[in-house]
Amino acid sequence: MQRNNIKVIPGALVCEESKLRGDITIGAGTIIHPNASIIAEAGPIIIGENCLIEEQVKIIHRLPFDQQNKDTTPVLIIGSHNVFEVDCTVEAPKIGNHNVFESKCFVGNKVTVSNGCIIGAGCKVTEEQILKENICIFGSNCQMRECIDKPAVSTRKQLLLI
Amino acid sequence: MSTYQSLSSEKLTVVLDIGSAFTRFGFTTDFAPRYIIRSEVRCKKTNKLRKICDYDSADDLYDMLVELIHIIYFKYALISPKDRPIVIVESLLCPTLFRETLAKVLFLQYEVSSILVLPSHLVALASLANDTGLVVDVGYKEAVVIPVCHGLPILQAWQALPLGGEHIHSHLKSLLSSSNTGIQNLPENFLEDIKVRCCFVTKSSRVEQLEGGKPEYAPPPDVVYPYAGTESILVTGKVREKTFEILYEEDNDHLCLSTMILDAILKVNMDLRQKLAENLVLIGGTVMTLGFKARLKEELQKQLNNDRYKVLNIHEFKFHTLPCKENYAAWLGGAIYGATEFLSMKAISKDFYLREKHLPDWINLKDINNTVSRTL
Amino acid sequence: MSYITGPEIVKYACTCGLLKPLPELYFCRHCSQIRCSFCLCHAVDSFFCGKCSENIPSAEARHKKNRCANCVICPSCQQELSTRVASKGPINPDDAKSAVKKSYYLSCHFCHWTSRDVGIPDQPSATGCWPERENVHINRLQEVLDVYQDIMLSQQQQKENSKKKRGKFVSYTDRTGVTASALRRRIGIPDIPHAKIKKPKPLDPAIAKSEVEELPEDIFTEPLKLMEITTIDQRLMQPESQPLTVDKLFPIHKQLTIKRSLRCRTCEHNVCKPEYNPTSVKFKIQLFAYYYIPEIRFVTVEPLRAGQTSELIIKFTNPTQHQTTITIFDLDLEEQEKYVEEQKLFDIIDNFEQAMSLEEKQQLSLPSLVMSSGSQPSSMYSLQSRQPSVIVKPRKINQAVNCNVAIPESTFILPPRDDAAEYDDSSDVHNIEDDPKLVKWRKSNKAFIKLAVTPAADLKIDDEVVCGFTMQHIYTNVIPAIVENMPHKYDHKVRVFFRLGKIVGSE
Repeated sequence: MQRNNIKVIPGALVCEESKLRGDITIGAGTIIHPNASIIAEAGPIIIGENCLIEEQVKIIHRLPFDQQNKDTTPVLIIGSHNVFEVDCTVEAPKIGNHNVFESKCFVGNKVTVSNGCIIGAGCKVTEEQILKENICIFGSNCQMRECIDKPAVSTRKQLLLI
Repeated sequence: MSTYQSLSSEKLTVVLDIGSAFTRFGFTTDFAPRYIIRSEVRCKKTNKLRKICDYDSADDLYDMLVELIHIIYFKYALISPKDRPIVIVESLLCPTLFRETLAKVLFLQYEVSSILVLPSHLVALASLANDTGLVVDVGYKEAVVIPVCHGLPILQAWQALPLGGEHIHSHLKSLLSSSNTGIQNLPENFLEDIKVRCCFVTKSSRVEQLEGGKPEYAPPPDVVYPYAGTESILVTGKVREKTFEILYEEDNDHLCLSTMILDAILKVNMDLRQKLAENLVLIGGTVMTLGFKARLKEELQKQLNNDRYKVLNIHEFKFHTLPCKENYAAWLGGAIYGATEFLSMKAISKDFYLREKHLPDWINLKDINNTVSRTL
Repeated sequence: MSYITGPEIVKYACTCGLLKPLPELYFCRHCSQIRCSFCLCHAVDSFFCGKCSENIPSAEARHKKNRCANCVICPSCQQELSTRVASKGPINPDDAKSAVKKSYYLSCHFCHWTSRDVGIPDQPSATGCWPERENVHINRLQEVLDVYQDIMLSQQQQKENSKKKRGKFVSYTDRTGVTASALRRRIGIPDIPHAKIKKPKPLDPAIAKSEVEELPEDIFTEPLKLMEITTIDQRLMQPESQPLTVDKLFPIHKQLTIKRSLRCRTCEHNVCKPEYNPTSVKFKIQLFAYYYIPEIRFVTVEPLRAGQTSELIIKFTNPTQHQTTITIFDLDLEEQEKYVEEQKLFDIIDNFEQAMSLEEKQQLSLPSLVMSSGSQPSSMYSLQSRQPSVIVKPRKINQAVNCNVAIPESTFILPPRDDAAEYDDSSDVHNIEDDPKLVKWRKSNKAFIKLAVTPAADLKIDDEVVCGFTMQHIYTNVIPAIVENMPHKYDHKVRVFFRLGKIVGSE
């Protein structure tokens, strides 16, 4: 097991009870709630600014099966203003800005998330794909639609918390 | 007129068109159905949705219709069915068991005061204000062609083939499974969605290229259809184009959609043929597909060169554009008929039903004799 | 809760022959029969919106096409839309007094659809008059409808006229003297048609065209944007326009919901009538079987083996305020079949009579209604020229029984329900002499009963075992209109079925 190497930029709020493993950088203004787990298994995780990571969220940096024996260590970069709601599991290899992962959703390690996407509550997305900007996935059958705007909830939610 | 209209708005009359896939319901004096819902009910025992048309027995159908009509009245129409008239739009080829059971449900279970039964092919012409036309109804289970001349359906010329949504779905399923090996048994609502959103009726010129595998054939772009988030289905351009071809592939008897129409024309009086060819009316959900009308016209023209149809001496086909969507054209006709005095004049009353124990039907000799003797 | 929603282990047979769990059944106090939603007459009671819980009078509901004027649902996913505030900054930033101009738009919390997606401008008020789509064909269709109505009216008129002429003797006078039309005919002027009826004006029929909509050329070259095309469900939500692309989806007004009242078809009394207020969950009349019929719950059964006797323990609870005695009889499905046949026979006779003198019967039934409902103001509605109901024909109970129940010789007593007893352990003495072979244990109004069940010998492993018996209990009628002061008691029988589980292998 590798040593934990956690770097927290001033302005970020990381609860002591959260579970952080591996090489993780946390940007300013990001809030990590207790009992959230961020596991940098395959390589370092860099979390951008003003992200919100709620309770029981699992962000796991796991490599796709076919890429495991490569020399370069990939870095999971999570952009800024992302919201990870309670009990979601995110294994995406790349996450842009302004995304919302709603409660109990699951994003597999073949899904690349761009900007302004919303993964609806309980949706399970594993099929290999790149989610285009402002895509919203919702409902039991994971219907997809394109929004005109990026979700506007994240900043307000954080203001309430601080 | 004003007093009459105020009266009619007080007395809301439900117009119901129970199709094999969708049920359209609304009120007279409206020009569009309030709702188009699936003709399905949840089975109490298995807790699965069942289509009304998949009934096993008369009792089974009775129970399902009780459920469906309950949903229609108390979830959507929001009026009590008791002591109100109802307008039913149905195909002339509707099974006797179905219409008798429906009448039993409405009269005995829901106690409607009267039922006006209207043949769908005839009333579909109502919104056009036309009394002659060749009505082609392509629905879910079957395609039925019945010519209507001067307000009378010419029944001896009827044509029906099991070409409809159900057939297309099964064809699409087999096409898809060849390009997507991993996915078996797609549920029907997914097939329907793929059909509606991705597929279209192509031109006949392209079909030759498609079938012959000619090099100039360039398939339309493929579509990746996301299926439940965890998988995706590749709908190739070829599949998109080929799905509806089943309607025009001649079967062993050399019958397909276009020959049905021509055969129907062939069976009517010579004087009416030209007029029918110039008054084609397409109804039913399947005809709303992109490119359907254009292709049908091409196919009809092509079939005219066939020796069998040379006697017709028809050179041109003309299509009506309905003032509504095709999938509720018959319903709209029912709503127009039901809004007139026709309702009070021709509806079958509860007393009549309780006395006779059946609905009058064109196929029933007893009823025909009765009407003949009455008119005499 | 799992008792209500879970597997239906204990089912009661309704008078109409259907098997349902006790909470789904009703009990008509006037006929003293079990009823269910299948054999009751449903009627719409009141309209309300499920989102804003506002009560809407029926005339208004009709006018608004059964939709709520304020609440709208998402055209994309059919969830309810909520109004969002989009505040624009003050027009004049220097002037502190100038209020922030607010505008509103609709947004769906589920699929994040907003009214801005389809280009609906933000509205200045929260209730917002969201734009509605008009049917483009409405004028033409109205024209068609008017002409058809005229044609039918004139036809009706003609029919009436021809009827008049056919009569052998023309009555020239009615109560007011000589009728105008009779006078006309007498002096030789032709009967003028009814003043109100115009001659149906000719309508130009629709003209068919040989040109048809061609398939767009770019369909073969342009990649399909799946997300811009509506699904069939989205289309059918708006039957009038059935938009093909998502940019034409407009918010839909929310469908109203109703409260239903249920009426017994035999005696025309209500068995269930909700309160008018949509936020109230109470009822004005609630004759649920749960309040009148002893409730039976399955407690335990010994492992079931084909042909071997097992001990079944069930719990009886008396829900009423009166003591009752319970007797268990054989199921006797033949008797039920006989009853069904009898009803059929009645039906034939009844119909015959009905055909002979329907009006007479109606006249009879109306005063009798007034008589019986005199003390019940709720059934005043029934006076409004209601036709007597058609009774749903009972059917055979469609449930095979493959397990024998040893019918106990003795009966047992269930004391009345006492809500206070729940908190009082000391007063649990009833001085009831029980048959120890039958009653295992009892507490307040409950009794645990032992029964011996024997599954049929030919059952195989994993076969479902169903047993049943007829329960007879003493029903105490307390309607003052029927019995004066004295509670009226009689025996009521109900068939009960149990799904005991599956046959297990030998030991």
